[in-house]
Amino acid sequence: MPAPISFRGLPKCIIFVAVAGAMAIHSAGQSRPDALTKNGTIAAVKPWIPAKTSWGDPDLQGMWPGTDLLGTPLQRDPKLGTRALLNDAEYAQKEARAKLVGDDAQDLPGNIGSPIWWLERGKPTRQSSLIVEPPDGRIPPLTAEAIKLGEARDAKFHLTYGVERKVHGSNDSWIDDVLALVEPYESNLYDRCISRGVVGSILPGEPGGYNLGNQIIQAPGLVVIRYEMIHETRLIPLDGRTHVGSGVRTYMGDPRGHWEGNTLVVETTNFLGGKLGLLSHGGGTPYSDDLVLTERITRVAANTINYEAIINDPKTYTKPWKIAFPLHRDPNYQMVEYACHEGNYALEDILRGAYAEQTAAESAGKAAK
Amino acid sequence: MRRFDAGCAAFCAGVLLIVLPLSAHHSFAAEFDGKKPVRLEGKVTEMEWINPHAWIHIDVVGPDGKVTNWMVECGPPGILIRRGFNKSSLKAGTEVIAQGYQAKSGSFRANASSITFKDGRRLFVGGSNPDLPENQGKP
Repeated sequence: MPAPISFRGLPKCIIFVAVAGAMAIHSAGQSRPDALTKNGTIAAVKPWIPAKTSWGDPDLQGMWPGTDLLGTPLQRDPKLGTRALLNDAEYAQKEARAKLVGDDAQDLPGNIGSPIWWLERGKPTRQSSLIVEPPDGRIPPLTAEAIKLGEARDAKFHLTYGVERKVHGSNDSWIDDVLALVEPYESNLYDRCISRGVVGSILPGEPGGYNLGNQIIQAPGLVVIRYEMIHETRLIPLDGRTHVGSGVRTYMGDPRGHWEGNTLVVETTNFLGGKLGLLSHGGGTPYSDDLVLTERITRVAANTINYEAIINDPKTYTKPWKIAFPLHRDPNYQMVEYACHEGNYALEDILRGAYAEQTAAESAGKAAK
Repeated sequence: MRRFDAGCAAFCAGVLLIVLPLSAHHSFAAEFDGKKPVRLEGKVTEMEWINPHAWIHIDVVGPDGKVTNWMVECGPPGILIRRGFNKSSLKAGTEVIAQGYQAKSGSFRANASSITFKDGRRLFVGGSNPDLPENQGKP
């Protein structure tokens, strides 16, 4: 029987197993033809002339959940080098894992977590990472400035709580091995149902995930994107207006859109730096005020859009990086209102739990004296 | 063959141990205590259909006859819908057995690793959910 769970000091290889396990939650299914080419760029499988809205814009509207991306890590396994797609053997392994941990997995001995039916199930894809540039599929190194800021945050944490931590420079995963340690003290914006930021909203959870709905709605001069989890809605004006003044800073930034052929290009600036990161759910090293996010959304088939985002934050990353993946339309996908704060018993339980542990430790300390 | 199965189960259990708690909105380890397993047998009093997690409330009668209302954490409503489960699927008065781990604070809340009906049928098995009460008797 496995020992009670503790994430502190988990070796990285265990994290890889976790990611592999997340891949395994997928129900085995027919794979779609991947739109990702071997060099990591996205191309339409065949020429596609998208329908237009009644006012003449390319029609991107619909429900585009990211469920099929579950199990595709943000960063590529270094073993795969510059290979953007899994080969047949690796893909077969991914499918085999999906069969191994099937619907009945909830009865396996030693599962102290949630039942498998909590999780969404997508179709395994061949894409080896959501990051396609740089060619190794990995987040570029942090700048010296970003590392220094991270160290300062860790030092402040130590001073405030008397607990040592080293979060700086952590881009391995949202699932940090210090998460359990940090959470009672500083619940992040996601835990508190506040925001996941733009990139954190579109990425699937890593390793597992749920509530991955994305919806696009259009009106003349406007594109609206809704994200299910934390219920963010972005209103993207297309009328060529300038960005708001540099003093205005928000979690979701200030987006401006235009069409390049059939591609919607959205440039977002005016982010509030130092709060959210660019990993799933807004985790990871916080980005700076200078982040510029350039997204490109193209419908390449009736039921497929290609999504790309270039992340350029020279204060935080030594070079720009890009994520790209297809999203598949699911008209039957239903979003339930994500009124998260009211039902966020977890936060209360986490704080009470931390208090109970602290009180017990203090009592034990007194008894020892 | 038996040996293979045991190894396979151990592998799966290991993977699940790491994966599933982390997939929640929050970290399992921060909210629940892996050293406090609970088995809750009782009648459903309410199902809270809320994000980020739905919660099932169960009245559990203790050995002393005292009734305690426990809350059991479930997945989010969106997922439950996609599993064919809805707000009114689990009626008040339904007898269930939930097994899981108690909140670290010692309050009457738990994360359920499995929920079964009294006769042993499991809740939410398979995509078509044949175990749901309204699906009984259907092919």
